Amino acid sequence: MFRHVVQWVVWKDLLTEFRSRETLSSMLFFALIVIFIFSFSFSMNQQAAQELIAGIIWVAFAFTGMIGLGKSFSAELQNDCLEYLQGSPAAKGAIYAGKVAANFMFMLIVEIILFPLFVIFFNLDVIEQISLLLLIFFLATFGLSAVGTLFSALTVQIRAREVMLPILLLPLVVPVMIAAVEATKGALNGDPLPMYQQWLELLAIFNVVFTVVSFWLFDFIIDA
Amino acid sequence: MPAIRVQDLSHSYGHYQVLRQVTLEISQGTCYTLLGANGSGKTTLLRILATLLRPTSGRIEILGRDGVTDKTLIRRSLLFLAHGSHLYEELNALENLQFALALRGLFPTPRQLKLVLDRVGIGAFASMKVRHYSAGMKKRLSFAKAMLAAPDILLLDEPFTALDHSGVELVQDYIREVLNRNGTILMSTHDPEKARVVSQQVGLLRQGTLHPWTWRQKDAS
Amino acid sequence: MISKVVRRLRRFQGWFGGLAAGCLVAGLYLGLLASPPDYYQGEVARIMYIHVPLAHTALLAYTVVFAGSLWYLWKRDPLIDNVCHAAAGLSALFTALALVTGMIWAKPTWNTWWTWDARLTSFALLFFILLGYLMLRTFIDHPEREARYAAVLAIVGFLDLPIIHFSVEWWRTLHQPQSISLRGVSISSGLLIPLVIMSIGMSLLFAYMLILRTQLLYLSRLLETKRGRLLSQFHFSKADP
Repeated sequence: MFRHVVQWVVWKDLLTEFRSRETLSSMLFFALIVIFIFSFSFSMNQQAAQELIAGIIWVAFAFTGMIGLGKSFSAELQNDCLEYLQGSPAAKGAIYAGKVAANFMFMLIVEIILFPLFVIFFNLDVIEQISLLLLIFFLATFGLSAVGTLFSALTVQIRAREVMLPILLLPLVVPVMIAAVEATKGALNGDPLPMYQQWLELLAIFNVVFTVVSFWLFDFIIDA
Repeated sequence: MPAIRVQDLSHSYGHYQVLRQVTLEISQGTCYTLLGANGSGKTTLLRILATLLRPTSGRIEILGRDGVTDKTLIRRSLLFLAHGSHLYEELNALENLQFALALRGLFPTPRQLKLVLDRVGIGAFASMKVRHYSAGMKKRLSFAKAMLAAPDILLLDEPFTALDHSGVELVQDYIREVLNRNGTILMSTHDPEKARVVSQQVGLLRQGTLHPWTWRQKDAS
Repeated sequence: MISKVVRRLRRFQGWFGGLAAGCLVAGLYLGLLASPPDYYQGEVARIMYIHVPLAHTALLAYTVVFAGSLWYLWKRDPLIDNVCHAAAGLSALFTALALVTGMIWAKPTWNTWWTWDARLTSFALLFFILLGYLMLRTFIDHPEREARYAAVLAIVGFLDLPIIHFSVEWWRTLHQPQSISLRGVSISSGLLIPLVIMSIGMSLLFAYMLILRTQLLYLSRLLETKRGRLLSQFHFSKADP
């Protein structure tokens, strides 16, 4: 039962996205603009890029993620679908899990499309580190979507929700951002893994703690 | 055991009290009609019975189960067709039905889906996105969902709005069918004449207070 | 009808206020006048007697918010929600004061107003979380939902704080290895006694303010209910001939 609900929620979100392409296209376009603005505002040379690039990548990913997360539950407002999710006998945790999975996929897809652009625009050398970078993206994106899905549901039914999602979410995901930036920096510099392994561990701890906590708290957000 | 029992139910949104001390009992196999002006608290009462809102005070029982502690059990046997259609605009009728029923743990066969869509008269639009549906077609699709879910308790918020003549007859037929299999219905409406044909009991909500009526009293007023 | 709990609190609030005043006066006297100046920092270090108790109390207040939020989600008692709301406002106040005193202290000792020290940074983030919490509460119209959502945010924020602290600390040791640590102030017993007294006094002051503020929120909730009831009666009597 639980597994079915998760699957159907993911299926529904993916199918909706496949038909409308609203979320992915707005995320991609926004991220592209962010990359350009960054490169203008820092007028980067090769050396500066090496220092700053990890931070730029993650700021771009996090802000892009906010767009996807914001849409995740605001799409449920049309025709009061959120009300049906609340009133259905399905476990609310299953709905949370399905939403996290869908948001995680959207964010990861955007990141995988964007990363080659960073490589091209900032002339990065990534071939040897690619699997480690993917692991970092995977862990950090999961952390962002686990907490972000909870806060997407929390902000969707309040006033000024577009502003409140980043205001509430960004301070809470500071550990994810720090860890992701430091680990990405290490991987891009070609440092040996033990030098930044602690950041991957931090990400793993954060993910475990906040997946469990959000899974439990989601019930109180979605249900009276 | 009554199917729906409401005792001294009050509800307030902030400082505004919408329901005051509502007491109501509906026995199994009957249909109860709620009348009342806009803002009299009909939808709030339905939403509380659908376990979407917690009552500020008082208690509700559905099929003998407490409305606050046994929510999941109640939700398995209850369906609320609300003012919003609960449909996803990007999905077609079949997909919407499949998703909505999957959340209830039901997986109808394509044949069942087709039969039910034909019955509500939108079989020809089964694979059209709901985005292109009219309000009446959405309403028919909602009733298709109810037919497949076959709940013991059905809560209907304004079931007749947006429906054409044949749609109204379809809904009335369906209500009779639910009552015949000992199901229970509570509906709110602004159209007592359409409800009267199928409904045994009637109540009037005025300023959050429920006044039980008979249809004859209603005629006299 | 005023709840029994609130009436009892009202009876005891004077004790908290009096004890807080006593402790704070004694602590300030001992700390500012009676104790010797710090060996390294001289007179400047005396701001510690304000700064450290403020920081402790801010964390204590947030712990109250956290515990109260769990309690609220369990029991759904609106009075508990009033306690959480009051404690969160006070926690924001104490956090802000701790940040300001910390910056004032940092200027003469490290010659900078701000440093990305793990504690300062965590406190700044705590301040953001609390501001977000208070802001969230003003953006929800339904009081029951407001209480529920605020409780969820408080719980997530509280569990996040240690992770934030560790991540900033690691990040900092990575970037500024020879960092000036707040722990540079060695604590001798002569300094410790006034510090403990000040901490107790500040916590009592928090308790006193919490009692007052909880009552304020509780009474304004009662007043709103009563006003709504009167207003709707008035409307209905006009509508009904």
